[in-house]
Amino acid sequence: MMIGHIEKNLKILGELVMLSKDFFYCMFTRPFYWGRLFEQIIQLGVGSLSITIVIGIVTGLVMTLQFGYGLAKFGGTLYVPAIVSLSLMRELAPIFTSLLIAGRIGSGISAEIGAMNVTQQIDAIRALGTNPIRVLVVPRVLSTVLALPLLTTLSAFMGIIGGFSIAYAEFAMPPGFYINKVLSTVQFTDVFGAMFKTAFFGFNIAIIACYRGFQTKEGTKGVGEATTWVVVTTSIIILVSDFFLSKLLILLFD
Amino acid sequence: MTENILEVKNLVKRFDEKVVHRDISFFLKTGETIGLLGNSGTGKSVLLRSLIGLEQIEGGEILFHQQRIDHLSEQQLYPIRTKISYSFQNAALFDSISVYENIAYPLFEHSRLTEDEIKVKVRNILKTVNLEQAIDLMPSDLSGGMQKRVGLARSMVLSPEIMLYDEPTAGLDPVNIEMVLDIMNRFKKQGLSGILVTHDIPAAKKICDRILILKDGMIGFTGTVEEFENSKDPFVQSFLGQ
Repeated sequence: MMIGHIEKNLKILGELVMLSKDFFYCMFTRPFYWGRLFEQIIQLGVGSLSITIVIGIVTGLVMTLQFGYGLAKFGGTLYVPAIVSLSLMRELAPIFTSLLIAGRIGSGISAEIGAMNVTQQIDAIRALGTNPIRVLVVPRVLSTVLALPLLTTLSAFMGIIGGFSIAYAEFAMPPGFYINKVLSTVQFTDVFGAMFKTAFFGFNIAIIACYRGFQTKEGTKGVGEATTWVVVTTSIIILVSDFFLSKLLILLFD
Repeated sequence: MTENILEVKNLVKRFDEKVVHRDISFFLKTGETIGLLGNSGTGKSVLLRSLIGLEQIEGGEILFHQQRIDHLSEQQLYPIRTKISYSFQNAALFDSISVYENIAYPLFEHSRLTEDEIKVKVRNILKTVNLEQAIDLMPSDLSGGMQKRVGLARSMVLSPEIMLYDEPTAGLDPVNIEMVLDIMNRFKKQGLSGILVTHDIPAAKKICDRILILKDGMIGFTGTVEEFENSKDPFVQSFLGQ
């Protein structure tokens, strides 16, 4: 039972590695579908803007409120801009945005490719002499890798703005002080680290979602199972790998 | 003498332990259409899919113009698949794009035509399947019969040498069946070779030159339509009774 489970997971891992290999091959060889890439960036990236902005602002608001009152007891309100901006940029924005994208985009990709698979549209792509990895996987993975870091940066920025408004309204913090503190705390390496992490998460979300889409069987039931599997798996991968990537970035830059 | 455009020798296909085809051999001559019959589950569609590498075979040979294609990689099969076209049972149209985009897709991929030339070509092929007015519709706006005709148009647009028809008349009303058969007959008159997988015996008799019947993973009967109709074999007669 245990061995069977391990075997099954190793098989999935092997197939994912093979799909990744094919993805890189197709990405660097012709034809490259620029049109499909831009289409996906708009669909996946621009389509996620509103929810990213909302999450960013709300996180900034809540963080500032909690830290503001918490630290006020020790006379530490002045540290709020630094704490909020740094935690947003380094951890909260990357994790929240990636989990959100795993739910929104990961499930969407697996459902779309899964539905195409069960209705033989993937076979049709192959039967028409074209490569489904080139047509479907490359634009989706690449657009997620490009869009997720940008969405994360936007989310962190909106969080800082949210924090700014609460710091000013609730704690009467001077705007100039808040901005100065944020600018002196958040370094380029923090932004780079967040973008690096989320590019890694984006690749994992999209490649796993595409993989599961291609594996989908048993009609609509299979599509439902695939989307659930993708959200759960990618969420776990994001959370676990975040620890190791954070450790790596601290070793490199701190 | 007409050459064998396609030849299958001792084909073996398994799904894990289950043997679907144990020894399948047949040929298809240029311009000929053969009907592939068999009870449900005998692997007719699997055989059709195997011919263009949509399924991996475990043994035997598939020759197209006397060249083996069964051992080719997926990448090497792409150009072959523009010459051996597959018409899916459920049409398998891309449901997120229009009828025009569905039919234009292989042209954008494999031809050097300009967009204007592609538009003309798509209109012409739609005219042959009597669906010129559906060019801007989405697949979901079409009836089952119309979808099958668009699927046929998409399969034909690259002017293949062989067409593999997977149950083209299944689930259609008599009017649509006649329309689809009429289209297939027109393709045949243009010199297109074909393999028709079907349960529709009248359709097979109308379109095909020869009939093959799958039985126990092998070819249980092969002969002309006339031989098929006059066969005294109870197994063959069971199909004629359908």
